[in-house]
Amino acid sequence: MTDVIEVQGLTKRYRDIIAVDDVSFTIEKDTIYGLLGRNGAGKTTVMSILTAQNFASSGDIRIFGEKPYENARVLSRMCFVRESQKYPDDAKPVHAFRSARLFFPHWDEAFAQRLISDFQLPQNRRIKKLSRGQLSAVGVIIGLASRAEITFFDEPYLGLDAVARQIFYDRLLEDYSEHPRTVILSSHLIDEVANLIERVLVIDRGRILLDETTDAVRDRACTIVGDADAVDRFISGREVIHRESLGRTTSVTVLGRLGADDRARLAALGLDAAPVSLQQLIVRLTQHAAFDTPDVHATIEEVVR
Amino acid sequence: MNRTVNVVRLQLVNKMTYIWIPLIILVGAWVLTLAIYAMLSGNGAPGPFYGGGSQAPLWYFLVVGIQALTFTFPFSQAMSITRREFYLGTLLTAALTAAILSTVFLLGGFVETATRGYGMNGYFFRIDALWAAGWWVAWLAYFAIAMLMFVIGFWAATIYKRWGTIAITVVLVGLGLLLVAAMWLTGRLDAWAEVFAWFGAQGALGLTLWGVLLTALLAGTSYLTLRHAVP
Repeated sequence: MTDVIEVQGLTKRYRDIIAVDDVSFTIEKDTIYGLLGRNGAGKTTVMSILTAQNFASSGDIRIFGEKPYENARVLSRMCFVRESQKYPDDAKPVHAFRSARLFFPHWDEAFAQRLISDFQLPQNRRIKKLSRGQLSAVGVIIGLASRAEITFFDEPYLGLDAVARQIFYDRLLEDYSEHPRTVILSSHLIDEVANLIERVLVIDRGRILLDETTDAVRDRACTIVGDADAVDRFISGREVIHRESLGRTTSVTVLGRLGADDRARLAALGLDAAPVSLQQLIVRLTQHAAFDTPDVHATIEEVVR
Repeated sequence: MNRTVNVVRLQLVNKMTYIWIPLIILVGAWVLTLAIYAMLSGNGAPGPFYGGGSQAPLWYFLVVGIQALTFTFPFSQAMSITRREFYLGTLLTAALTAAILSTVFLLGGFVETATRGYGMNGYFFRIDALWAAGWWVAWLAYFAIAMLMFVIGFWAATIYKRWGTIAITVVLVGLGLLLVAAMWLTGRLDAWAEVFAWFGAQGALGLTLWGVLLTALLAGTSYLTLRHAVP
């Protein structure tokens, strides 16, 4: 696989905080990434620096093998859709799309028109008068129709209703299969995008916590449900990241994938194994990393409950 | 280059800022001025009448300079435009609109000359001091003033964008202090006569060229500031 983005030791320091802390990763060509993490984890900062909108304190970035800063050749192949994008004061969506057509070489006008009707976006209303959801739709349409080789979506769904969000996911996937490209999608609605993203990058307090394929992440843990004693017998020696009890029934999330003999043992003990949702897993892993000592697991459980 | 020209189109997407508002201000100021001249003329005043109304659209270029940066720079970044392309395209837009405005002023000046101030000896576009050295000096002066206004607005806005409200306030207050200090020093040295003589000696063309120099200086500084501004 070719890497379209290479990041080495990226650090971003503000006066009193370190927003991004010595981060290194690569992004493969033609893959959909989920950039996941809590508010303030550093997602937007990383994306801003990669698109040369913000500046790194130290570290090296290569996009298509080149530095992106003031590099029109590289920048014109990228599109960054921000959650809080500002538009010219009196601009209407029609103006924003007309501008995007000027600057994104792969802009598809027919696709843009289709998206405008899909999202029922009023094209001739001033952008500052649009609702939050309609404002997000403007960004989403620019991001999709620009068909840039690398597209960043920074929480693009704010204010979009469930139907509109589904339209976004569907159109993204349809268009991606016809025109493969690299998409980096930052999101809080992890389960909604779980079927979309092929690789997961979890960032927490400025550091990369996880960089794996979505399938591998799913295999990292499972939930064992059944009689409390039997569950305890099964999980001894395994790393538990979450535990819940209701009467005699206990549900425990353990790390590690289950092998054939594990499954046989589960059957013998009368236990069920259920897959963990990506969202749950990432929440637990993030919490796990935050309190990486065994004695605080109890506290986490309280919090989760 | 093509992308720089496209920045002009990006800026002009907002026709309200660059075309309609300046036009409304210009026509409005012109109509008001002529109405006042007509009243004076109707009361038998012989003129010639001069008013400051034609300054209005030139001042508006200050606002345009601010808006060109604060509203359009963040969007230009979303369009994956480099800061350099944005800067050059924006200055090109300003030059184009300033040229159009100067041409309107020039044509208006010719009309006023031909009709002897609309038949009532009143002048809106034609300022004798600027026209004395030739119509092209007048055109250049109008252009230079509009560009200077635009660049002052743009320059202040880049400082605001890069370092925030306190920075621009401190810079403007600092410049005010420098100006007052210079005035104090001039008075102290009893040099006001020399200062006025210097201004007089420069003439319309000389002052215009000094204005161009100041514009270039501010524009250059703006670029250095913009190079590290974050949208």
